[in-house]
Amino acid sequence: MNPSEPTPAISAEEFRKFRDFFYRKTGIHFEDTKRYFVDKRLIERIQATDSDNFRNYFVMLRFQASGEELQALINLMTVNETYFFREEYQFRCLVNSILPEIAQRKGRDEPIRIWSVPSSSGEEPYSLAIYLLEHWPRVDEYDIELVASDIDTSILEKARQGCYDKRAVSHLPEPLLRKYFSALPNVQYQISDDLRHSVEFTQVNITDLSQMRGYRDFDVVFCRNLLIYFDDTSRRVAAEALFNALRPGGFICLGHSESMSRITPLFKVRKFPEAIVYQKPR
Amino acid sequence: MSLVKKNHASSGNADHRHLPRDRAGLLRQLQDASPDIRRWAALDLAAFPDTAEALCARLEQETGLPVREALLTTLIKIGGNAVVKGLMPLLRSEDATLRNEVIEALQQLPEAVSPYMETMLRDPDPDYRIFSINVLANLRHPQAPAWLQAVIERDADINVCASAVDVLAEVGGPETVPVLTGLPGRFDNDPFMQFCVQATIRRIQGHDA
Amino acid sequence: MKRVLVIDDATTVRLYYRQILEAQGFAVEEAGNGYEGLEKALAGQFDLYVVDVNMPKMDGYTLVRTIRQEPAICAGPVIMISTETQPQDANAAYLAGANLYLHKPVRPDTLMLYVRLLTGERGS
Repeated sequence: MNPSEPTPAISAEEFRKFRDFFYRKTGIHFEDTKRYFVDKRLIERIQATDSDNFRNYFVMLRFQASGEELQALINLMTVNETYFFREEYQFRCLVNSILPEIAQRKGRDEPIRIWSVPSSSGEEPYSLAIYLLEHWPRVDEYDIELVASDIDTSILEKARQGCYDKRAVSHLPEPLLRKYFSALPNVQYQISDDLRHSVEFTQVNITDLSQMRGYRDFDVVFCRNLLIYFDDTSRRVAAEALFNALRPGGFICLGHSESMSRITPLFKVRKFPEAIVYQKPR
Repeated sequence: MSLVKKNHASSGNADHRHLPRDRAGLLRQLQDASPDIRRWAALDLAAFPDTAEALCARLEQETGLPVREALLTTLIKIGGNAVVKGLMPLLRSEDATLRNEVIEALQQLPEAVSPYMETMLRDPDPDYRIFSINVLANLRHPQAPAWLQAVIERDADINVCASAVDVLAEVGGPETVPVLTGLPGRFDNDPFMQFCVQATIRRIQGHDA
Repeated sequence: MKRVLVIDDATTVRLYYRQILEAQGFAVEEAGNGYEGLEKALAGQFDLYVVDVNMPKMDGYTLVRTIRQEPAICAGPVIMISTETQPQDANAAYLAGANLYLHKPVRPDTLMLYVRLLTGERGS
C-alpha cells in the first residue's frame, strides 16, 4: 500500500463480523474492550496484504484455500509468551481438584503421569514440578512422572538447560526463586539440577499418529495454546491423539482463552471451582 | 517417591494393536463387540482408502461417540468422491447427532463436495436443503456466495432462506443486497426474516447501526 | 434480572432472540453450539435455555439430555426451537427433557409468551 494513502478504518459492524468469524475458527473471543487491539492488528494485515480495505481483506481471509492468512492473523492476535506460573489458577485446579480425584482411584504403587505439550522452553513443566512439590500435600505418597514435549528440538535443548531471564521468573514468589534456582551472571536464573532431572523432555509432533503411539497412560495433559494454531483437520487428528494419550478418566487443561467446544465432543466438560477442564470418559 | 524421571514417554500399551493390522483383519475388527477395538480399527483403516464404503456403513450403525469420531477422522483423511457419496445419504438420517457429524465432515471436503452442491440445494426436502447450506457455511469455496444468492432468489421455504441469509452475513458482497432487500416481501414481511435481512445487510455493508 | 442462554449456530438467529429478550428486560448470553452451551451453562447461572436442534460438535437433543444429568443445572427450563416439524421431532425433544418445542420462525410475541411462562417473569 502506498504510504500516502489513508489508513483503512474498521467500523464497529466490521469488528463484530470479524470477531464472530475468528471465534468460530479459533474459539478465541474478543470483548468490545479489545476493539483497539484487534483493529490495530487487522489494519496491519490489511496493509501487509495490499487489501485496501476490510471488505477485500475479509474475503481473502475467508476463502483462501491455504489458510495462510488466518495463521498469520492468529499469530498476531495471540500473545504467545511463556513464563513461570502463567495461568496459575490451572495449577491450583490441578492440586485442589484434579489430583485428589485421580489419587482416589489409584493404588499407591501406580505412578501419576503428567504431560506438558507443547513444553516450549520449559517454563510450564518446571512450574508444574514446583507447584506439585510446594502445594500438593500428598506429593510424597506417589511416584509422579513428568513428561514434556515439543516439536522444536532447539527449544527442547533450551528447556533441558533451564536458564531463564528475569522476566520469565517475575511471577515466582521470591522464596521459591531462591529455593529452586541458582543465580547466574547477567541476571539469569538456572533451575536446580534436581528439577532438571525430574522432567523427561521429548520431541513429538502431536498430529503424527505414529509418533504419538509412544505416548500413553497419562492422567493429566496440559495442552495450552497449541490447538488454536491448527486447521480443522489437524485439530481433529490432534484431539484423537490426546484421547489416545490419556487414561480413561484422565484430564486435559487447555489455555485460558481456549475451549474444546470448537474442537471435539470427545471429552466431558468438568467444572471445578478453579477452572473448566476436560475429561476422557471413564 | 515424589517426582521421578522415566526414560520413556509410555508406560504400557493398551491400545489393542496386537491384533492383525491388515485390511481384512481391520474390517473384521470394525464389527468387534469392544468399542476400543472398533475405534482402533477405524483409525488404522486410514491406510486403506478403498474401505470408505465400509466405514460409512459402520458409521450409520455405530453408537459409541469415540468410535464415530474416529470413523469420521479417517473418512476426512481418505476424502474424495467415494467418501462424499457414502456420507451424503446420512444427512437424511433420523439421528440428529449423526446428521450434524456428517455436516462437519463434509465441510472439510470442499473439492469433493462442490460438484454435488447444486443438486443438494435443489433437493425436495427443505431440511436437506438447510443441511446443505450448513455444509456450505464453512466451505472455503469461491462459488459459495453465488450459490447462496441463488437460494434466496428461488427457495420457497422461509427457514431455508433464513439459513442462507445467515451465511451471507459472512460471505455475501454488495451485489447481494438488492436480492436481500426483496426477500421479506416474499414471506409476508415475517418479523424474523425482516430482522435477519437487516442484520445481514448491515454486516455486508459494514455500516454501523 | 433473569438470565437466558441462547444456543444456536446461526449468528443472526442468536441476535434475533437477543434483541427480543433484551427489549423485555432479560439478560442474554450466547453459545454457538451445544458443547459451548454446556460449558456456559456450567459456568453461569441461567433461568432459561433456548436451544436449537441441529448444531455442530453437540446437537440440541444431546445438550438437553446432558443438562438434565448435571446436578448443578438440571432444573433449568428448556425451550427447543427447530426448523423440523415432524411429530417425531417434538417427541425427541420432550424425551430429551425439553419443556417446550417450537417451530422456526418464532414470532416475538410467541417467544415472549412462553419465556414468561417458563421463567415466572411477569415482564415490564
